[in-house]
Amino acid sequence: MELLPQALMDGILLGGIYITIAIAFSLTYGVMHIIDFAVGEWIMFGAFAGFYLNKWTGLDPFLLLPVVFVIFGLIGCLIQPVIHRVLSGSKGNPLLMGLVFTFGLGLMFQGLAMTVFGFYSNSTPSMFSEGSFFFEKFGFSLTISTVRLAGLIYALAITMALHYLLKKTNFGLGVRALALNKDSAGLMGVNGKRTGALVYGLYVGVTAMTGVLIGCILSVSAGMGPQYTIFAFFVVVLAGMGYLAGVPWAALLLGMVQSIFLIYFDPGHTLLAVFAILYTILLISPKGLFGRGV
Amino acid sequence: MPEPILKVDSVTKCFGGLTAVNNVSFQVQPGEIVGLLGPNGAGKTTLFNVISGYYAPTSGSITFKGQDISGKQPYTLATHGIGRTFQVVKPFAGLSVLENVVIASFLRYPKRADAERHAWQILESTGLADRANLSAASLTLAGRKRLEIGKALALEPSFLLLDEVVAGLNPTEADRTVELILQLKQQGMTILIVEHIMRVIMNISDRLVVLNFGEKIAEGAAAEVAKNPLVIEAYLGEAAA
Amino acid sequence: MKDKIIRWGLPVLFVLIAMPAVIHDTFFLRVVTEAVMWIGLAIAFDVLAGYTGYLNFGHGAFFGLGAYTTALLMMKAGWPFALALPMGGVMAAVAALIAGFPTLRLKGAYFAIATWALSRAVQQLALIMDITGGPDGMRLPPFLNPQFFYYLMLAIVAATFALLWYLLEHSPFGLKLKAIREDEQGAMALGLNPTKLKMQAFILSAVPTGILGGVYAYWITFIDPASTLGDLISDQALVMVVFGGMGTLIGPVIGAILIFAFKTLFWAYLSDFQLLYLIILGAVIALSVVFMPNGLWGTLGGFKKKKRDHENKLETSLEARLQKNEGE
Repeated sequence: MELLPQALMDGILLGGIYITIAIAFSLTYGVMHIIDFAVGEWIMFGAFAGFYLNKWTGLDPFLLLPVVFVIFGLIGCLIQPVIHRVLSGSKGNPLLMGLVFTFGLGLMFQGLAMTVFGFYSNSTPSMFSEGSFFFEKFGFSLTISTVRLAGLIYALAITMALHYLLKKTNFGLGVRALALNKDSAGLMGVNGKRTGALVYGLYVGVTAMTGVLIGCILSVSAGMGPQYTIFAFFVVVLAGMGYLAGVPWAALLLGMVQSIFLIYFDPGHTLLAVFAILYTILLISPKGLFGRGV
Repeated sequence: MPEPILKVDSVTKCFGGLTAVNNVSFQVQPGEIVGLLGPNGAGKTTLFNVISGYYAPTSGSITFKGQDISGKQPYTLATHGIGRTFQVVKPFAGLSVLENVVIASFLRYPKRADAERHAWQILESTGLADRANLSAASLTLAGRKRLEIGKALALEPSFLLLDEVVAGLNPTEADRTVELILQLKQQGMTILIVEHIMRVIMNISDRLVVLNFGEKIAEGAAAEVAKNPLVIEAYLGEAAA
Repeated sequence: MKDKIIRWGLPVLFVLIAMPAVIHDTFFLRVVTEAVMWIGLAIAFDVLAGYTGYLNFGHGAFFGLGAYTTALLMMKAGWPFALALPMGGVMAAVAALIAGFPTLRLKGAYFAIATWALSRAVQQLALIMDITGGPDGMRLPPFLNPQFFYYLMLAIVAATFALLWYLLEHSPFGLKLKAIREDEQGAMALGLNPTKLKMQAFILSAVPTGILGGVYAYWITFIDPASTLGDLISDQALVMVVFGGMGTLIGPVIGAILIFAFKTLFWAYLSDFQLLYLIILGAVIALSVVFMPNGLWGTLGGFKKKKRDHENKLETSLEARLQKNEGE
């Protein structure tokens, strides 16, 4: 029992960073109507970018975040037109082809990473890596590692920035219009092509940045992608596909499940638990915990 | 009065906080053509979707041939004898015109050879026979609307819901479609039709039902309804009334 | 169309049946046996992907379920192979029911996610359970008769092909699935129950896959999560179908033969670069989608079809005119 507060705290800290991935992922789904099977691979590439940039420049990974965001944002903006082309194809089933395309992309990225980076597992050192806060009260003890706390602060900052972007700017208005109705948004002067590319770039950039943090907090390895793809799916399905307000709760739940399994059970069972919850939700409330998905 | 084929009884349909159809009731007698009229957003298509099983009514009931069908699935209603077309025509684009109709024919003719024979008859009667083996995606708008009617007819329905099958056609094409609808009426088909083009709907309908903001504001013969101040107001604005 | 398949299919089948009598090389026989298996896996995958428009990213899980079911029944329950094998198909069908029930009512994206997650869960399960031998896998009693396995694989795949040909290209079922693929909402108005049809398609796809897994287990005599439940099986089936041509039966066959031949050559000569294979698979998928969305067979057939369409148009309009004249 004395470990429970620790497990819950770890869960909140871990879940926090999943929020950023899931919001960006959910946004992309809303605008482009496809889910990206390469999401975990973007996290993996981001984590490696953080690892190597830190090694070469000696700068702290937290300071490198904007650099990673810009690089990956550009990559995303460059790839999106290809996906757009697949999705607007007249032949066959464009949505299905879009799924196949991102799946193929993910596979390619995985092979590429294993070839280039090998099979080693590392973690990125940061100035926050060592320290931790320690509390003891009412017979419970609680350790909060500084790097995880920093991760949570990052997550809150990104979430607020995205919220601001969506609700208060013209760009955000265009994004929301596109998510509601592609055709009439086009009539209202929203440039679907450009907005789509920017949203995808934003998503890839944010996901890669979060990857850097995952590299600091947990670990970096070429095979880490698929696990995070499942996590991203888990969060968006639980939140309700395309329903952003549900994301934080679903992400925190995922963090809890992960940390509870880490402390109380075999971490090898985490994936099974994640699947069992995912399945149950699809069975009883396919529109997510709040019934608001599309 | 004979037993009505369709009875819409105080049907309401809400989406979240929005009431798209509010407490609408009317009846359709066998062999009648009833026109459903109303400005954009009046709830016509929503009502169509409720009658054909795509939405379950929030409250109220729909009776078809004496049987309560509210909330039944569209594919069940097709077997009961309800055929419908869609306002936004979407043929199975990857398949040929013939295959499109054959799929609908399977409902009454489960064997492929019989279904194909039946589909050819439908194509003849809707004037699509010469395009049977072309991809459905290659049809013009007029062709697609005809195919839409053809698919509904292939179900051998006793009741047909037509959603704007004339709108968007040029006058010649429109006349041909009107002719087709009148032919169907002669054969004893019951039809509920939504149409924007007044000339068409006034001419072919035996009776009109007018919706505005989801509520029924008038019902009756075309000439009567056209004089109804509520209808004039709905269409021309308050000043005209 | 039916004549064509008999005209082409029967001679091919005859050659395949006679082959072991002519060529005695066991390595070659082994390669052909596996190629035949992949043809079966690819056409089964296409039932859902090409005909119905639903992506099963967990195809390999059904193969592995069949393999493990057959192996477990033989090793732990002492069942004979002939009884254990069909149970592999039954288990795959049960898994399809479980995975399909909540997801086939929803949009395609959910199905892709759920099947992909399912395959990961099944892998994890096989890794941590005692009865499956965990990561060490299971050994089956060796039955070293390459010809037996060749003929068994051939019989199952030929039967699957014939069944799928009949159901998808000849009977109403195939057209109904295509209607679902094209427009689910519209199909409902024509009396089709999409959820039911999709479930039938899913089971039709899963059962042969599970049975092939069972044959594979007894043939190779060793199974472990990495080889029978790994992602490579789903990935390769996807590549074969997308590259060969979705929504046809011939396309996946061609895709399976070409990709498998490539794989065999690659692993024979470039086995040091196994990771490169993964990159190539991914690249082939992505490039096919962008540049050849109808696959090899569809793209080649497309030219012929255009010409035929044109001829048909002339012919049918002539026919219609003649009929009209007769009527008058």
